[in-house]
Amino acid sequence: MNHMITTNALTKEYDHKKVVNALDLRVPEGSVYGFLGPNGAGKSTTLKMLLGLVKPTGGQIHILGKTLSPANRLDILQQTGSLIEAPAYYGHLSGKENLQIICKLKNVPEKEILRVMHLVRMEKQMEKKVKNYSLGMKQRLAIAAALLGNPRLLLLDEPTNGLDPAGIQEIRELICGLPEHGITVLVSSHLLSEIDQMATDVGIIDKGQLIFQDSLMILHEHSRSRILFRTSDNAAAFRLLNSSGMAVKWDNDSFYMDNVSDDKIMEAVRRCVENQIGVFRVTEQQKSLEDIFLSLTGKQVSL
Amino acid sequence: MKMFTALRAEQMKHRHRFLLFLPVALLFFELIWAMWSLDPKKPSDLTQGYMSAFYMLPIVNALIYPTFLAVLTNRVCDMEIKGDTLKLLYTLEEKKTFYNCKYLMALKYIALASVGTSLLPWIAGKFYGFTDPVQPHMFVQLSLATFVVSAALLSIQQLLSLLSSNQILPLVVGLAGSFLSLFSMFFPPAAARLILWGYYGLFGFIGMNWDRATRISTYYEVDFNWTGLLLFAAFSIVLYFICRTIVLRKEV
Repeated sequence: MNHMITTNALTKEYDHKKVVNALDLRVPEGSVYGFLGPNGAGKSTTLKMLLGLVKPTGGQIHILGKTLSPANRLDILQQTGSLIEAPAYYGHLSGKENLQIICKLKNVPEKEILRVMHLVRMEKQMEKKVKNYSLGMKQRLAIAAALLGNPRLLLLDEPTNGLDPAGIQEIRELICGLPEHGITVLVSSHLLSEIDQMATDVGIIDKGQLIFQDSLMILHEHSRSRILFRTSDNAAAFRLLNSSGMAVKWDNDSFYMDNVSDDKIMEAVRRCVENQIGVFRVTEQQKSLEDIFLSLTGKQVSL
Repeated sequence: MKMFTALRAEQMKHRHRFLLFLPVALLFFELIWAMWSLDPKKPSDLTQGYMSAFYMLPIVNALIYPTFLAVLTNRVCDMEIKGDTLKLLYTLEEKKTFYNCKYLMALKYIALASVGTSLLPWIAGKFYGFTDPVQPHMFVQLSLATFVVSAALLSIQQLLSLLSSNQILPLVVGLAGSFLSLFSMFFPPAAARLILWGYYGLFGFIGMNWDRATRISTYYEVDFNWTGLLLFAAFSIVLYFICRTIVLRKEV
């Protein structure tokens, strides 16, 4: 599999504290790679290192098959587009004038402007001053700027931040459609649900360390089911099964068993019934992505 | 990235900013000041009108230029801070190219203002009919001194503008520089040399004697401090590289 981005032991330290620690990213070509992590996990710092805005303390970065260095940084970035932290714009200029500046710097013909504005559905707003745009429009303009010159790789840092639900949906649809145009997207977010709906591949970062990296499908396979019990006396049933050596866990006034065989479930039900405890429900519950994240990082994340 | 392309892009950013208005406003203000101040009250004023103008203008420059530079730099740089554009720009052009373009863009207006300022004595002289001979070298000295001192101050203002998220700080520094430069003229010479903004006055080349009894001022030319100007120009270049290095080191 070809990788658009590969990092080897990428590390960044600030005041002897590692904010990114030995990161080995592998972003497959043609994917929407969701870079997931709670606020302060090191996502933006990683993206900035990929763009050469922040100098790594250690490690290597390979983008589009080339090792990123100060000498070839701009040549490599010529084939990438980016949106880091907040949309960049000149408020006193129109959307079109903003893109003309990017065209000049990227050495891209100005006829590209109409194409990218069409992609982000902003053709009718081109002549309007950007200071009068809504946040969603500024965000879409920034994505349009990133798309100028047909980049092979797009780095988007929390592109839906501050958008209303309709805006989030629009940006999401736009990102999902980019691989059809031959663009690989690396999109960071602290929202699991967002990545779940956009990404084909996922990297999860926490406290600067990559704790999971694979396809979204594999991540979902981690979502082992659990068997939830509802009985006439949950506390008594829990004590009974626990004392008989069965792996039960207490949670929110009820108890459950993790990914067990049918025989074990049958035995648990039999023991309850024999001890005059009525069994109302035995339900199988799939782990959500949030639960997986919680089990990987050991802490709750914003949803 | 070719410097010319970056400069052209920089030029495109300044559409609708009316930057030319700033040197025009400065020159208009100085012209009004000069016309009011050089208005001859008696015939003897006409005989040393040009000398009087070249004596006065460095002092006026010391008061006006620091504020002008602060506002100019603010207009050139604040759009990058307000629009959070640095992260994007640094992926499209070298940081130092970006910095150089900003500096050159502001320097263009400073050159315009410096030449304009040096022409003010000529305008006033033609208007009032000064009778003392026009000395062409004085125009050159005034415009060069104004330009070189402004170029040094521009480095400081650009540094502050690009490092401050709040653009009030560079503006306050510019205003403070205006007052400091004016007060520095009353400092002992050694102390005055420590005030960068005061060099507009220090590079003055006209002296004045004021006779308390007759209440008559007589002006005389002193040797222009070419060595001092050259040293100051060298210092400006060093200051430029120091300020640029500080800005380039800052991670965005």
